[in-house]
Amino acid sequence: MAFTSSNSFLREASFIAKQRYVLVFFTIVFALSVFAVWSGLKETTAQTQTIERLLEKDQIDRANMLAKQKDYGGAAYYSFHLTYSSPSPLAFAAMGQRDIFPWKHRVRMLALEGQIYETDADNPELSFLGRFDFAFLVSVLLPLFVILLLHDLRASERNAGRYDLLVVTAKSQRHLWVTRALVLTTGLALAVLLPFLVSAFITQAALADTLLMALVVIAHLAFWLVLTYVVTGLKFNAKQSAARIASMLLAIWLVFTVLIPVGSDAAIDELVASPAGGEISLTQREAVNNAWDIPFEETWQPFLAEHPEWADKTQMESRFEWKWYYAFQQVGDQKAAALSQAYRAATEHKDTLADTVSFFSPPMLTQRLMSNIAETDTASSLAYEQRVRDYHAKLRQFYYPLLFNKVAFSQEVMTKLPQFTQVKSTEAKNTQVTDTEAANTNKVSSTQGQ
Amino acid sequence: MRVIKQIMLDEWRYWWRTKVATTVMLIGLLLTVAAIVVNSLEIEHKAHQREHLQHTAETRFVEQPDRHPHRMVHYGHYVFRTPSPLSIIEPGVDAFTGTSIFLEGHRQNSAMFSDQRQSSGLTRFSSLSPSFLIQVLAPLFIILIGYASVSREKEAGTLNIMITQGLNKWHLLLGKLLALTTSGLLLLLPLILASSLLGNEESGLITTSFILGYMLYVLVWSGLVVAISALVNNNSVSFTSLIVVWVALAILVPRIGSSTAASLVPSPGKLEADFAVLEEMRKLGDGHNAADPAFEKLKTNLLAKYQVDSIDKLPVNFRGVVAEYSEQKQAKVLNKFAEQRMSEELEQAQIARQFGWLSPTVAIRSLSMMMAGTSLETHHRFLREAEALRIDFVQSLNRVHRDKLDYQTDVNRYKGENKAVVDASNWQVLADFEFAPESTANRLAQSMPYGLQLILWCVLVCLLLAVAIRRMAQ
Repeated sequence: MAFTSSNSFLREASFIAKQRYVLVFFTIVFALSVFAVWSGLKETTAQTQTIERLLEKDQIDRANMLAKQKDYGGAAYYSFHLTYSSPSPLAFAAMGQRDIFPWKHRVRMLALEGQIYETDADNPELSFLGRFDFAFLVSVLLPLFVILLLHDLRASERNAGRYDLLVVTAKSQRHLWVTRALVLTTGLALAVLLPFLVSAFITQAALADTLLMALVVIAHLAFWLVLTYVVTGLKFNAKQSAARIASMLLAIWLVFTVLIPVGSDAAIDELVASPAGGEISLTQREAVNNAWDIPFEETWQPFLAEHPEWADKTQMESRFEWKWYYAFQQVGDQKAAALSQAYRAATEHKDTLADTVSFFSPPMLTQRLMSNIAETDTASSLAYEQRVRDYHAKLRQFYYPLLFNKVAFSQEVMTKLPQFTQVKSTEAKNTQVTDTEAANTNKVSSTQGQ
Repeated sequence: MRVIKQIMLDEWRYWWRTKVATTVMLIGLLLTVAAIVVNSLEIEHKAHQREHLQHTAETRFVEQPDRHPHRMVHYGHYVFRTPSPLSIIEPGVDAFTGTSIFLEGHRQNSAMFSDQRQSSGLTRFSSLSPSFLIQVLAPLFIILIGYASVSREKEAGTLNIMITQGLNKWHLLLGKLLALTTSGLLLLLPLILASSLLGNEESGLITTSFILGYMLYVLVWSGLVVAISALVNNNSVSFTSLIVVWVALAILVPRIGSSTAASLVPSPGKLEADFAVLEEMRKLGDGHNAADPAFEKLKTNLLAKYQVDSIDKLPVNFRGVVAEYSEQKQAKVLNKFAEQRMSEELEQAQIARQFGWLSPTVAIRSLSMMMAGTSLETHHRFLREAEALRIDFVQSLNRVHRDKLDYQTDVNRYKGENKAVVDASNWQVLADFEFAPESTANRLAQSMPYGLQLILWCVLVCLLLAVAIRRMAQ
């Protein structure tokens, strides 16, 4: 049985290989896949190189700045720190949300809320037109390819007058169509996947991730294969023209690819209330700027609520002191915290709802799974944002003891400045532990300082 | 003429009888109407919200208490970009740019909080904008309605009968084309109505050209459908070829265009330019520090001008003079880099728009954005106007600093009870910010190349129809 089926598979394959238009079709699909993968590779290489260049410049810039500083307040004010999220080895295949969410920042010790929403965004017109990446090819175009290839499986033979002959000569009628459909889909899968697999090999992506992504592609392909097979095989369709059947399939494609996502997006927007982003920065600005004109006590109170350890170090010798300056920067963040939290929670909530909705839209599901594997989805972007927040908190932990304890400035202490390190999201949990450890050691050192 | 009309009516009757075309048309109509309703509610809400925020930002600014003028430079101000009337139909880049900017001294901030960032991420391929429906889906609907318009007659053998009875082939094709175009225009109807209703908000010339552009687009696709249907021998091939053409022109080429543009013109990004900005800025000296050696020459000139020997004796506050001087210098540097960045973006966009010669969908998209005032150019103008406002209010405050605050009080501002502040009445420096779409003439001029692309497509389609006629004669 196995022998005969592989035999008939080969028979069909050689039959199809003789059909010129099918070969042309596969070549075009292959070329598209190559282009998608190539432009994705080009983009991720550019991003990696940008990060490398920025890291180098950042280092030099900060070293130059620090050399001129005479106190920790000034050092903190003038030194910027690069934070970034490098594209994963598979990002070339699914650029996901990386053109909308920022993946690099330069932050300093000032209030963070004003800095974290700064986006060094991509060209908005190109984002609007949309990129042609591998995920797009697979999620939106692949179903169309399947429909174009398979909608007239039976009807074309019927039209050509070969239908009855074929049915009679084949061992089983079903077997014939299944084999033919499988041959065509295998060709399609190869045309689509080969460029991807080669590139994944070049970028040295983890084998498991690569296979997982290939599996997603194959699953999506299989879904449309089955759907097309079922629709073309319906009794009701036996008398319909090929074009009619294809229209029906296109309508299904339209519902899955456009109507469900667009409709759910509108519904989700309606469902999840989110504070206007502008409110966050207005609140924070207001808090920070008012601080200059209100009694010091009004800054210290909310600050000490978070940092009781500095309660007996708040006396001021001048109308301006760095410790007070950074305290009101932090109070600015604290005042905007609730809004900012709500804003992030809304983004997250929308993302989770979108996850649920995508189960009703295979193309969306495919796209989301792919950018999930490539770590280019909204969740990864939010995780990066959290890393920036954590890093900024570390900067504060580093500077506060120096400022409040009036430690004499030394360039050597500055060499211990916390560095932003990028962790893979899978390792994020482990680093959180070390973060708290770091916080504890810092607290110890600050008490020692007193 | 009578014959053409007859053929057109026959086509309509056929569609009515088979129900497929009427279903497609109904669905298309419903979608466009829904999109327009949802979008206009949304845009109205946004316009309202942004006007409100703009008003709040302005009132809060002038309501600030007496304080040091430089504090107000850092207190800063917000500008919000209100959506243009036609963005109900063509939201363009608006969803991707962010529409609020914080303005402050010494810095040019980018626009923040784009809508897309707060969306569920489900709309990366499609959006519920009427423009997407018309630009991408309407052609598909036109194909579904008309793919068999000529090939059907061939399959049934009626074409030969008609021709032998002396029917002019041009009349036949024109009749079919007219029928298909009118059905396409029916899909366009909600869009036409909605944009005409904007009558008093948008110039008539713009609205008319906007609608005209979309009509041309429908005509191009109807022509393509009829031509290909006439070129091939059966419905199935006609359908498949048209779907391939649709996938290529409406989906593939626009995206390949933007990917190509991104690959051809690398944009280093704002962050990277910031290093260069910072380097140049540091050469200019720190405006907060009047003792910075960078201002030595300024000091000598000023002393000479007022013929005094120390800055204490100057009739103006030297710190204010330095603030004003360095802000102006900084603005020059900032603008140089901002302009560079904008021209890079524009260069990328223009490469992507050149693909309009390869796809009518790209052509109508550029045309539509230009006309609606939701293009990259408009966004850049918003950035420039915001910058003009920024430098205006910052320098006004610096002049207050220079003229109305005593130098000695200013220098000793952190010592004892001495309060270096000026009266709150000085905060009236703020000009009302109102962002209006580009002038009619400008928008028309900018749309010209894309109108040309569409016209070229019309010519191409006519040629294709001529070829089809020739083929039918054989």
